[in-house]
Amino acid sequence: MKKYLTAYSIALQETLQRRWTLLMDRVGGFAVVLSLYSFWNVLLGDKASFLGYTRPEMLTYVLIINVLRSFVFTGRGWQLVGEISSGRVSSYLVRPLRYQGYALALDLAQKTIHVGSAFLEIGLLVLVARGVFIPRDPVAWALFTLAAVMASLIFFFLEFAVSTLAFWTSESGGPLFCFELFLQFAAGAFFPLDVLPEGLRRLLSATPFPYMVYFPARVLLQKIAPSEAVRLLGVEAAWLAVAAAVAAAAWNRGLLSYAAEGG
Amino acid sequence: MGKWPMTAALTADALTKDYRSPIKEPGLLGGIRGLFDRRYKDTRAVDAVSFSIEEGELVGFLGANGAGKTTTLKMLAGLLTPTSGTARALGHVPWRREAAFQRRLSLVMGQRTQLWWELPAYETFRLNKDIYGLSEAQFRASLDELVDMLDLGAHLSIPVKKLSLGERMRAELAAALLHRPSLLLLDEPTIGLDVIMQKKVREFVRGYNKRTGAAILLTSHNMTDVVELCRRVIVIERGRLLYDGALDALVARYADHKILRARFSGPFDAKKLAALGTVVSVEDGRAALQVPRARVAASAAALLRDFPVADLDVEEVDIDDIVRRLFGGA
Amino acid sequence: MIEEIRRHARLWARTASMSMQAQLTYRLGSAGFLIGKAVRMVFFFAFVAAVFDHVKTVAGYTLLETALFFLTFNIVDMIAQIFFRGVYNARRTVNEGDFDFYLIQPCSPLLRMVCSSVDALDALTLIPVLVMTGVVLHRLPPLGWTRGLLYATLTLNAVGLVFAIHVAVAALTVRTQELENAIWIYRDVMFMGRFPVDVYAAPVRWALTFGVPIAVMTSFPAKAFLGLLSPAWTAYAFALTVVALAASLAFWRASVARYTSSSS
Repeated sequence: MKKYLTAYSIALQETLQRRWTLLMDRVGGFAVVLSLYSFWNVLLGDKASFLGYTRPEMLTYVLIINVLRSFVFTGRGWQLVGEISSGRVSSYLVRPLRYQGYALALDLAQKTIHVGSAFLEIGLLVLVARGVFIPRDPVAWALFTLAAVMASLIFFFLEFAVSTLAFWTSESGGPLFCFELFLQFAAGAFFPLDVLPEGLRRLLSATPFPYMVYFPARVLLQKIAPSEAVRLLGVEAAWLAVAAAVAAAAWNRGLLSYAAEGG
Repeated sequence: MGKWPMTAALTADALTKDYRSPIKEPGLLGGIRGLFDRRYKDTRAVDAVSFSIEEGELVGFLGANGAGKTTTLKMLAGLLTPTSGTARALGHVPWRREAAFQRRLSLVMGQRTQLWWELPAYETFRLNKDIYGLSEAQFRASLDELVDMLDLGAHLSIPVKKLSLGERMRAELAAALLHRPSLLLLDEPTIGLDVIMQKKVREFVRGYNKRTGAAILLTSHNMTDVVELCRRVIVIERGRLLYDGALDALVARYADHKILRARFSGPFDAKKLAALGTVVSVEDGRAALQVPRARVAASAAALLRDFPVADLDVEEVDIDDIVRRLFGGA
Repeated sequence: MIEEIRRHARLWARTASMSMQAQLTYRLGSAGFLIGKAVRMVFFFAFVAAVFDHVKTVAGYTLLETALFFLTFNIVDMIAQIFFRGVYNARRTVNEGDFDFYLIQPCSPLLRMVCSSVDALDALTLIPVLVMTGVVLHRLPPLGWTRGLLYATLTLNAVGLVFAIHVAVAALTVRTQELENAIWIYRDVMFMGRFPVDVYAAPVRWALTFGVPIAVMTSFPAKAFLGLLSPAWTAYAFALTVVALAASLAFWRASVARYTSSSS
């Protein structure tokens, strides 16, 4: 366990060391949030609500996007692709270390800093902008946290699985890029999925994607009754198990083919 | 130009280069502090180095890792501006990067490549034709010659990423020489190559120097490169010029002995070895002896006669050893 | 001078053709990127269209007009991605030493850094966007060819502005060698250009017009076509591009000078 803690701590320092990258990342993410909110703001006009979201609720949804973009969508896929392609992954395999655990430690470090920064930004914004919807019910917060943590792990494992394509082809960057873009839309990281036509929405709800942003956001906004939320958390947990299994299977098969070809 | 002879292809006058690098304080707290208040330190990579190279000369540039070889080479190529001092290459100040100078210069770095990875080397050659503004006839003549000398024919149409290291290095040399530079800077051209390929590259470099009269400055870790190619060497250590003169004199002065390495097929009396030279090491059936040059033959004969020798090697002293001795005086 | 320009044009054509060939060797990877971009565009269209199921106008614009803003954004953005692709690899170009070769060879390092890899696949995605823009322009009420000409000129002007930004990012990468993905920040901020600038609150609008001039790049051409841009603003757009180009080129030169005096 200690080795993963060390990896975590080193990764924290490394992220801090590249200060410009960090600052620019945050500025960029904030621009997206700002433009989404502005768009919704205009749509709301002088209506009381749009698609069932009041103005404070919509603002909160957008802020949740800001947090979850930092917390959920920061895997180690690109690093894995790079390390497999360059053969550097071998240096991990010969050490008493589980690569998934190591990657997760690095990922957590990145998440720590970005989520910290996201909350800082939100704090500033709440001070400046009036009328953010902040739920008072601790149950909503607890359910939201649980949903977000699982979402983050689902993303980590799914991205990990897609990245292992690098074991078979030197061109796995393309599929990974495609996957990540699709995921962000399907998760609701750009707009609440309520805007989509009924059929498409139902189709998406049969996938793990809406659990990454849309579901936690609605839990926090108390749009879902607690009993229903608990049921959906169960479904999310099932997806998490599937994602972890897929990632492990893909990794093991990949290693086999890697070893067979001698890297 | 004044004090330098007109035939000098390259002159460096008190070239000095300082680097500035951020200091990373240890630990997480240090990391956070570095976020706001970053400290730097200056390191002197090259310290008042002066030398001059004539047209047609092939000079070895020696020094241990981090001695400042590559930095000096980069200044002479115009990639770096010195902190102080001046240089002239082919009558130009390199770091002004004038096109007239660049058309006559080439820099080959053994660990870097200018070849396009996914495409056959031939494509990069065509690109360089356009970069250096060569006519079709010039390009053809130059290419044919290089392909012939470097034995590249079969490899021209294969993507670079599929070439072996040796094939890639030869293609790299061809790409660098298409425009027939009169000044060639080679940084570790044989690094990572096997012995046969090293030999090929060396033969080619010597041939190019003879044929075109280009001035060549070559750095290498590989003593054989230097011994076979260069009559004159320049040695630097920690950025300072230590030696500039004939290789023979350097070797006579500092590499005044060779290493005999023997593997034994049976038991032997290790104490008796001391009579043949300075014992460097003895361990499970192997021994290394340091023997003065003049006594190498006699010692080797004695070894073969008096000991159950299965295998015997005679080696030059390591270049790093010589340089270290130059610097430390020991 | 003329000869130099012709040599650089030949050079550009050569590297463009080489990067297309290189790209063709990566079929799966390229397909992934292509599909990813298509997915993003389709989703956004679906989103905008879905929004108009619920409202009649957004910030006073109809569906067709909003589509024009969105398409204009895409045209400018894609042209930049097709022709200024090299900036996306700027850090690698510097770190792996390719930039050193650019510097010692007799040709403009800027041209090679920014323009030397042309993304042929993005050119493929540009075609449907151009077709759709044509359809939208056609279905809007007839507004005369001067409006069309103004639209085209302002779009070109926007490309000039985007070029200036790419040069500045390339310069920044050469200067710091730390800025891992400076260009991705530009992409994130550019995200704001997908919507008509009028959706933003006054201070943001102000920032997008005078600070990070995304409004000038994406909203101005469409507004001009719709007859909503005064001559003064049009003049401002052109002047801004001239200033931005001059400033970014100066910054580039300064950064290269610093690179050659400090890098290792």
